[in-house]
Amino acid sequence: MTQAATRPLAELATADPARYAIGGAAPRFAARPALREAVVELVAAAALDRLAIVPWGGGVALPHETTPGRYDLAVDLTALDRVIEHDPEDQTLTAECGVTIATLRRRLAAHRQELPLEAAHADRATLGGALAANASGPRRLRFGSPRDRILGARFALADGTFARSGGKVVKNVAGYGIHRLLCGSRGWLALILEASLKLAPAPEHRVALVYAVDRATLLDGARWAFLPRLEPAFVTVVSEALTRAIGVSSGAAFSVIVGLEDDRPWVAQQEAAVAKVIGAPVARLEDDEAGALVQRLADLEEADAARRTFTTRGNTPGALGPIAASLGDRFVFHAPAGRLHVFGERPLATPASLTRIDARGAGTAADTTASATGVTALRARIRAALDPGKALALGDRWTGM
Amino acid sequence: MPLTPVHLDELRALLGADGVLASEAARFTYEADALALEKHMPDVIVLPRSTDEVAALVRWARARRIPVTPRGAGTGLAGGATAEHGGIVLSVNRMDRMLRLDVDAMLAWVQPGLVNLALSQQLAPLGLYYAPDPASQQVSTIGGNVATNAGGPHCLKYGVTFNHILGVVVVLEDGSVVTLGGEAPDSPDFDLAGAVIGSEGTLAIATEICVRLLPRPEAVKTMLFDFTTIEAACRAVSAVIADGIVPAAMEIMDQHTTELIEDWLHLGLPRDAAAVLLIEVDGPAVSLEAQVEKIGAHARALGTRSIRIAKDDAERAAIWRGRKSAFGAYGRTASGFYIMDGVVPRTRLAEALAEVYRLCEVRGLDAGNVFHAGDGNLHPHVLFDARDAAAQARALDASHEILRMCIRFGGTISGEHGVGIEKRSMMRELFAPDDLAVMARLRGAFAPDGVLNPGKILPGDGDGHSAPAQMGGMRVRDDAQGPWI
Repeated sequence: MTQAATRPLAELATADPARYAIGGAAPRFAARPALREAVVELVAAAALDRLAIVPWGGGVALPHETTPGRYDLAVDLTALDRVIEHDPEDQTLTAECGVTIATLRRRLAAHRQELPLEAAHADRATLGGALAANASGPRRLRFGSPRDRILGARFALADGTFARSGGKVVKNVAGYGIHRLLCGSRGWLALILEASLKLAPAPEHRVALVYAVDRATLLDGARWAFLPRLEPAFVTVVSEALTRAIGVSSGAAFSVIVGLEDDRPWVAQQEAAVAKVIGAPVARLEDDEAGALVQRLADLEEADAARRTFTTRGNTPGALGPIAASLGDRFVFHAPAGRLHVFGERPLATPASLTRIDARGAGTAADTTASATGVTALRARIRAALDPGKALALGDRWTGM
Repeated sequence: MPLTPVHLDELRALLGADGVLASEAARFTYEADALALEKHMPDVIVLPRSTDEVAALVRWARARRIPVTPRGAGTGLAGGATAEHGGIVLSVNRMDRMLRLDVDAMLAWVQPGLVNLALSQQLAPLGLYYAPDPASQQVSTIGGNVATNAGGPHCLKYGVTFNHILGVVVVLEDGSVVTLGGEAPDSPDFDLAGAVIGSEGTLAIATEICVRLLPRPEAVKTMLFDFTTIEAACRAVSAVIADGIVPAAMEIMDQHTTELIEDWLHLGLPRDAAAVLLIEVDGPAVSLEAQVEKIGAHARALGTRSIRIAKDDAERAAIWRGRKSAFGAYGRTASGFYIMDGVVPRTRLAEALAEVYRLCEVRGLDAGNVFHAGDGNLHPHVLFDARDAAAQARALDASHEILRMCIRFGGTISGEHGVGIEKRSMMRELFAPDDLAVMARLRGAFAPDGVLNPGKILPGDGDGHSAPAQMGGMRVRDDAQGPWI
């Protein structure tokens, strides 16, 4: 059912549009509603005027995107920031989506629990933004992706329909998993307003081991093949040019950082196993220092405005082999997570082993296999079903990805 | 529309003579899944061998608006694989191969008819396994598991089916073939595979499935505790979770269940315990001692009378045999029982169980409980004399009240078996009309023509309450594990 708008948009949209520029272009209106009913009222009013809407979280990534073709109204969701329910014995949390990742982390740390979502600039990144962007950081292997952690969501469609799917319990197969579908939807299917997540216990102990690696060693697949079965928390490759930003440099062309997290006896055993195969690290960080490094590694995702992001089934640094010649000197690769960010605008030959999942400020080329065409058509039908008025402005942009 | 001899000839041309079953006997065999109350004879059963054959079949059916109901092993308890509107049952039983295995990337492509346990057995020599282990895993298929997003005792630690599926090749309702997700951990844009998994064959038919594999845990410890109150057992579960321990499994059986199992199998389970709590931890050997100790301390603090730790694989297998035989034990003795699959937040387990017993008691009925305590996933069995229509009606009423209680407690009506036919009327009590309308819009985007498993999941106009899975009066072999819950 579409909500009836009771007030004109100009009365509801009182935020400063200049703060919500995308690719340098500001919308005509901006609003920062504090209640979900207000969001529903706002989008219903916008629907009457056929306005193009972009939902905003913390604005970590959006300002760098290309300006959408139509962009009338920014809906800033950061005022919807309540934690609705957190029962530590349930290891679940329900919160409004404008709450920042850092706020949630602080709250959970007191209970020795972790929010299993990673995002660049966690102090600004919101829960909704992390879900909509399908955020994935170094510890992806340990946590899975947002869809692995989301239990349910409440959301508003662009026509003002307010709905939910899933729930707050850890097992639930009643109804379609629209909450999972919204992961990675980048604000072009719905405005995600509230989500329930499955939490994780915080690890007792963390270690980050930094290795100095030259090009030949990096691409030696056999050298790293032991790592996936050891189940490290992360294995991240950082090119030398980016290491200043993380405050840890091996001094070599590449730094490979192996993260281990669990109870102390197991971490000690893993560390010994790593040392046995690839020797002693040039640097070693523990606990809070290692945790802070993980966030800086996640922040690297936003190192430059021009960025291409890939996913690959290759789960060790050796996966970079086929692309090494054109990688350039600014990239970060979270190996077991299979996620590679390459910065800059230089041309990049993409082998079949890599799938591009995002590009901004750099050229794009459509995948034209029959299956990809079919998937694109399916996405378009889903978009038409959930946002028939094409009000969610970023949708057009992603249709051809 | 009944199928004509011409139709059958066309199907044989598409799938070969041995890929089409139309005899009365065959149709009778496929008239229901494990929800035996809902019987609907399909007009024909087809047994394709490949994605191309499924695509050809779906195109053929759509052109004639003949419903297609996909089916794995038929162990589902919600009627999801029953051809409610007749037409075609598409059995994936001949699509049972592993197509490709990549040991380094720890993934495999399999066909949907591959039996869950057979997959892990094939992987065992490589030190790998497929984690989701629904209790039906000896017979249920990966395709059926994908359709229901199946769980199992070990999903407490490892997650449910969709957490272990990287990608699926699916046939859409128009017969086109698309790959959703893939071998990499992510795919561009929003998560289509996540929407299809658990959709009970109503959005698309999975024909090739890329499963994520895990290294086999180095060590396993299986513990058994006995409590004089079920509440204490539930509190032990909460205490373990709150302590940051994630066991592989935490299962509770009540006294009623334990007695039935002991009467049958004589495994040495404590008959006088109000609740038996089974906790299993797995992982690196070096981590487990401390976990076992901590869990034991919580159990003692909450009054466990004994702690039994399996000494070897044989004892571990015996303990699990007890747990997995519960279904068979009920079937052996009760003349009828309804099984539910509700979920409550795990912190409300004790309250929820008390309510289950109360709801049955006021109706003069017995109830037994065996459930995935770590997940809050209850499987109450409401027992009745199947010859007594009034008792059966009271049992049905009790089962609906139990699911309503799950909703009221902040839970859900199905944790792992799906909605199918059985629970779709309860969807109206779980969700608001707008929620269901949005789900219907999504279904329309995938499958607008009502050919793919029509009528399932979403309540239609005029749907009454259907009964949950009713079992009973079964003849159970002594070596059977009754592996369905």
